[in-house]
Amino acid sequence: MIKLIEKIEGEATLDFKIKDAKIDFVDISFTSTRNIEKILEQKPAFDALVINPRVCGICGHAHLIATVGALESCYEEIQLSNKAKIIRELTLTFELIQNHFKWFYLTLFPLLGYKQAVLKAAHAAQLMGKAIATFGGQYPHTSYAIVGGVTCEITQMDILQIQRYIEETIVFFQKNILDLESEEFVYSTQVESILQHKGDLSLILEKLKKEKLHEYGKSYDRFIVFGSNSSFHSGKSNRTRFSENLDFRYVQESEQAGSYAKNVSYKENYYEVGPLARAIVMKKSLIMDAHRRYGDSIFSRILARVLETIDLLLYTKELLSQIDLEEPSYIKPHKEIAQLSAQGVYAVEAARGSLIHKVKLQEGIIQNYEIITPTQWNLAGGTREKMGIAQKAMFGLESMENAELVFKSFDVCSVCTTH
Amino acid sequence: MSEKKQQKKELIMQRALELFASKGFYSTTIPDIAASLKMSAGNMYNYFKSKDILAKEIIKFISSYMGEKIRTINEEKISTKEKTRKIIEVYFQTASIKPEMIDYFLRIYLANREVFEEGCEGMICVNEFVTEIMIYFEEGVRCGELRDQDFFSAFGLFMGYLGGMVFLKGEKILPKELSEYIDDISENIYKALKA
Amino acid sequence: MSKVKLLWLSGITCNGNAHSFLQYPHLKQFFCDFEFLYHPVIDSQYSLEEITACTLECDILLLEGALSESFKRADSKLTDLLWHYAKKAKAVVCLGTCASFGGIFAQSDAKVQGLHFNKDQELVSFEAFKEKSFNLSGCPVHAKTIADTLYAIKENYQIKKDSLLRPKAFYAYTVHNGCTRNEYFEYKIDTHDFGKLEGCMFYDHGCQAPFTHAPCNKTLWNEVNSKTRVGMPCVGCTEPSFPRLNLFQTKKNMGIQQDLPVGVAKRTYLTLAGVSKAFTIERLQKGLMDD
Repeated sequence: MIKLIEKIEGEATLDFKIKDAKIDFVDISFTSTRNIEKILEQKPAFDALVINPRVCGICGHAHLIATVGALESCYEEIQLSNKAKIIRELTLTFELIQNHFKWFYLTLFPLLGYKQAVLKAAHAAQLMGKAIATFGGQYPHTSYAIVGGVTCEITQMDILQIQRYIEETIVFFQKNILDLESEEFVYSTQVESILQHKGDLSLILEKLKKEKLHEYGKSYDRFIVFGSNSSFHSGKSNRTRFSENLDFRYVQESEQAGSYAKNVSYKENYYEVGPLARAIVMKKSLIMDAHRRYGDSIFSRILARVLETIDLLLYTKELLSQIDLEEPSYIKPHKEIAQLSAQGVYAVEAARGSLIHKVKLQEGIIQNYEIITPTQWNLAGGTREKMGIAQKAMFGLESMENAELVFKSFDVCSVCTTH
Repeated sequence: MSEKKQQKKELIMQRALELFASKGFYSTTIPDIAASLKMSAGNMYNYFKSKDILAKEIIKFISSYMGEKIRTINEEKISTKEKTRKIIEVYFQTASIKPEMIDYFLRIYLANREVFEEGCEGMICVNEFVTEIMIYFEEGVRCGELRDQDFFSAFGLFMGYLGGMVFLKGEKILPKELSEYIDDISENIYKALKA
Repeated sequence: MSKVKLLWLSGITCNGNAHSFLQYPHLKQFFCDFEFLYHPVIDSQYSLEEITACTLECDILLLEGALSESFKRADSKLTDLLWHYAKKAKAVVCLGTCASFGGIFAQSDAKVQGLHFNKDQELVSFEAFKEKSFNLSGCPVHAKTIADTLYAIKENYQIKKDSLLRPKAFYAYTVHNGCTRNEYFEYKIDTHDFGKLEGCMFYDHGCQAPFTHAPCNKTLWNEVNSKTRVGMPCVGCTEPSFPRLNLFQTKKNMGIQQDLPVGVAKRTYLTLAGVSKAFTIERLQKGLMDD
């Protein structure tokens, strides 16, 4: 039985195989591609900074940061000021935050029978948009992060302005998502205590429990995080067995028949990426509690995404205060990119999970470019014997509506996956 | 300015050029120029308020004269190689029929910068001439005939070479007429600048 | 008063225009005046499958993304959908450079193009709708450009367009108009380093603002800023030629910029440049915040 899933930054088709009134297997396919990796071939390296954000309209900024990181990793030596690093991390984080608000109010709400709260999503997205634009000039689609730093110089007034955008967003979060002091929420250890407070989050989680959906969507309990910055650290967890050292060489992509999305695995296993993965790898207490009770179900996935939103909002305030305006925004690399023949790889944590960019340059011209998106990880299409993360999560469900809920709990981005 | 006044000005400038060339710039005075034209010095000052102003107007006049000739060449639908030759031709022609013009440029404008400090900053008084050379270079590179390089390196090569030849002629060192050197010089310059 | 019915179709796209639109500050009022029969992100009256059944009509057809003969949404050819809905629609609005001229995704395959143009080459397939079409180019297009155009169509205004079907109200301006770095351009101060408040990116770093038509420095992005103001060169994203090659570098021939401001003759530019360069303006040689 084929179901078209729409409004996931594009569409996907789910082909359900039913056995004994339960979902036995799901074939996930994406039916178009834009060949961006091919478009990049033979282009000058810096042009990738403009092209790659256009992989995606909602998370294009993550692609920018991944691109500049990949290009910089081609240099044997390159200097970046702390100021530039912080500014890049801030804009990356602002985009991540607005993604989560949009997912919560535009994607999750309708799945649980509530009307889409477009104005709420837009309000938060606009505040974060302004914060990004103060550094980067505009949102969506800027390429202000360049090899060696960032193009912008900022003033004290810019910092004060951005502080106000962050604070307004925090107040908005508290008023709408959960009426609880942000610090209390972020450091809490008990899921039950959270649910005592009013807000759209409790509304959603209570409904899940009431309809007995909260334990659906469990997968392998395997998580991986590749991106490392001051907000996240890399690592993986397999049923709470943690390890920190990851090697890009074990990341393998493979083509899938009937779909333009490529599969990806690490040491031949499928892993979940995203806010839940990040929270587990960093052992965030509230999520560890949710995980203890409800495993890697949609409950934990949803809670992790919302927690990450406020956690990062608070953190960006702190990060912003660490900017030393005396430092330069840009340090010219000692070597012209036209002299570079090298390979590079870089990972960032985008809203939906780890985003990996690999580039090969020959005298500053791109020979090869590979992009591995978070949705490729979560939606990897395995076999009945070895299912992908989302496939496993939907296995055994009795209704396609529930399957769609589980599917979308991964926050799917169709355009990213069909780059 | 009326046509008649403009013509008179040009006449004055032409005579001034000739006197500067034969007597020298500093030795020639406004009354000298006036006398040679059977004008009163007072009348002269109606056209040029001072010798310095006259000096600057002259250089603009020369720049405009040469600029117009090179513009005509630039606008022709011919190859850059042919344009190169024609520019050299026009430069040497001017040096031959109006030697005082190029002479003024080399010996007075370039050699007495203090006269031109105020009111002729940078290259503004030779703007028309320099703009046409820029256009010649830019279009030559754009159509692939000339090698892309720093503007001043190329400008120095071209103009330094031509100016040098005219200077040598003025010093009576060149055995032949300037026109007889055009073939070789054309080839040298084009070979040096081409892509 | 009934709301104007909008149908937002997506071609080969990144959805950037959809997310740019969500940055529009007056969405609340907008939703009182307009409704979406379909939208790729916002809840709409109908599902994609209902739209592709082609039994409905819309007032204004919006297209985001480039097209190809073979491209499908929900198993229906996009070109078929466009034909059906464009016929009865009051206006057809192309959102973004991909729908207008092909944009970045035109490079993914030779058969991918814009609706009425392939770069600056006019196409004939949808000629019948050209008169009522608008190209709101940009990568992405500004939210306000979208909203203002839709309101103008709603009010039956006569919207003046340029030869590329772009409303002049937005696209008569160049990105150069209103950039905070203008003085460095005006007085030919041609030193520029990234990461500074001062300097103009036109000379060396590829800024296409003087010859790109868009209101970016008039109607600021996200109401606060623009790329050129933060030192990032304009990449000419509203033009049919987007994307060019070597976007961060200025093409120069013998040190002279190849592309000059719109409508300014080479001789004029070089003469003005020559004059400006002769003078030194101390204030502009210093840092903006210096004593």
